[in-house]
Amino acid sequence: MAVALPEQTAVPRDIGFFEWFFDADTWTGSGGIIESLIDTVLLCAAATAVAALFAVPIAAVLAHYRKAQVTSTWLVSLSRAVPTFAIAALLVPWSLRRGWGFEPWPIFIALFLLAVVPIYLNTYVAIREVPEESVDAARALGYGESAVLGRIEFAMGASLILAGVRVAAIQVVATEPIRAFLGGDGLGRYVRDGFGQNNTTLVVGGIVLIGGLAAITGLLFVFLERLVLPTGVRRLVRHQGERQP
Amino acid sequence: MTTHSKRRTVAKLLAPLVVFGLVAAACGSDDDSGDSGAESGSDTTEASGSESTGTEATDAPAPDGPTIRLRGQDFSEAITIAEVYGQYLEAKGYDVDILTPAGFRTEAIDGLTNGDLDLIVDYIGGSQAALAPDAPPSADPDEIVAVIGPAYDEIGATLLDYSPAVDGDAFVVRGDSEATTISDVAGLDYVLGASSQCPERPQCLIGLEDPEIYGITFADFVTLEFGPLLGEALASNEVDAVIWNTTAPQITEQGFKVLEDDQGLFPAQNIAPIITTEVLGAYGDQLAADLDALSAMITTDDLLAWNTQTDIELRESDAVATEWLQSKGLL
Repeated sequence: MAVALPEQTAVPRDIGFFEWFFDADTWTGSGGIIESLIDTVLLCAAATAVAALFAVPIAAVLAHYRKAQVTSTWLVSLSRAVPTFAIAALLVPWSLRRGWGFEPWPIFIALFLLAVVPIYLNTYVAIREVPEESVDAARALGYGESAVLGRIEFAMGASLILAGVRVAAIQVVATEPIRAFLGGDGLGRYVRDGFGQNNTTLVVGGIVLIGGLAAITGLLFVFLERLVLPTGVRRLVRHQGERQP
Repeated sequence: MTTHSKRRTVAKLLAPLVVFGLVAAACGSDDDSGDSGAESGSDTTEASGSESTGTEATDAPAPDGPTIRLRGQDFSEAITIAEVYGQYLEAKGYDVDILTPAGFRTEAIDGLTNGDLDLIVDYIGGSQAALAPDAPPSADPDEIVAVIGPAYDEIGATLLDYSPAVDGDAFVVRGDSEATTISDVAGLDYVLGASSQCPERPQCLIGLEDPEIYGITFADFVTLEFGPLLGEALASNEVDAVIWNTTAPQITEQGFKVLEDDQGLFPAQNIAPIITTEVLGAYGDQLAADLDALSAMITTDDLLAWNTQTDIELRESDAVATEWLQSKGLL
């Protein structure tokens, strides 16, 4: 079978952005925007979700017992000092040699490490900053450690924790396009092909799509934060303005 | 108590910043040493230049003319080539300024056009793609020269004789592939990996799939950044063929083989110096003769050897260039 070459690779250099963007062929088919968008969204959602499932419990428990305040924060922040692209690029040969291919592990691990940072830091702060009076009151009512953590600290910190996940998700969406430079596809393909083919329309298209997805991701989390928070906590959050994310 | 612990926390949080600052400073000083290296390089060649004027076979007097500003494109082979031409001219007594390598072909040709550079060395097929993209590519270097010679004239530059050294496109497969020519690939259902330019270039994917040239149908196409990643992808069976360049040292290093371009799809990519007509005129025929003599001595094997030294053995381009020039008795 003839290779289903993406239409985008044949985009003429002098095509206008709107002409390109509103052409149905730009969106459908192999390598079209819809396929690229699905690729990107799936990977970003997976990386953020796994990072949240990993970082929130660890940070919550450590913060509850006031353990590793400096070391863990420092270690987690330090991981951000290594560029995500460098991590992914280092992992690619490793993955290839194991026969796991370009995707998904190298880019997934790199995005996971990126997402862990804000989620961990926000969760830690959220739990630690829960007013001591609330915790004391809960203990006086006979709450055990796990109940204090789960029903008091976690509920009251939910807003900040979700804000951390939101920041992580936006960063992941904005960073995921590096995968196109490491043997993958996704929305980054437009930036990559645009640079490679000296086609400004494609680069601009990639930026618009990636930026748009990041903006939508942020909006979704705002709604999610409203849905998830119990009414009482929402009222409390509104009360303590400075805790508003 | 709390302020104290907070202060400690702040100090510990700042620690990575300090470390980062030190690293950045170290990187900065590295750059500095690179610059001073180039300066000291020109110092030493001044000395050797005065020496060589006496020993030159042609007995020509020290050439007198403007400074020749030369800049390599920013990848190791081009950097070494620039060092070879630059150090060679310095040894001949010319006033040469080897600038820090930057950019690629576009920046090199722009530099010639707007007077920032006097001498560049480029691959002729690449030059044609940049200067006359609509002209049909050719595997015959003389046909390409016929196109780009006049094109360089138009921007006030002169194309000198091309070298027998070629760094062209290479269709690379694993060593155990049954194919020996690119035509053999037609029935093999290969996955091709190449840069993002490939799908839109007639000398690449378009020509490979064109029924009138190769007519290959690939099982898939993977966009891969040019460089060692191509070899990794090939070695791990992620792709079955990649478009690389003939002088990539990893090809022999990793046991790959280059298939014969039996249909002559890939354009000739001999290296050739291009110099501004103004500077060339100022020095007269001697400069052109000197450059042509050097170009004639460089071979494809030399390019491969230089790349092996810079990319595999991780040696500095200027040292590799000096050593080669000495081995040829040119320094």
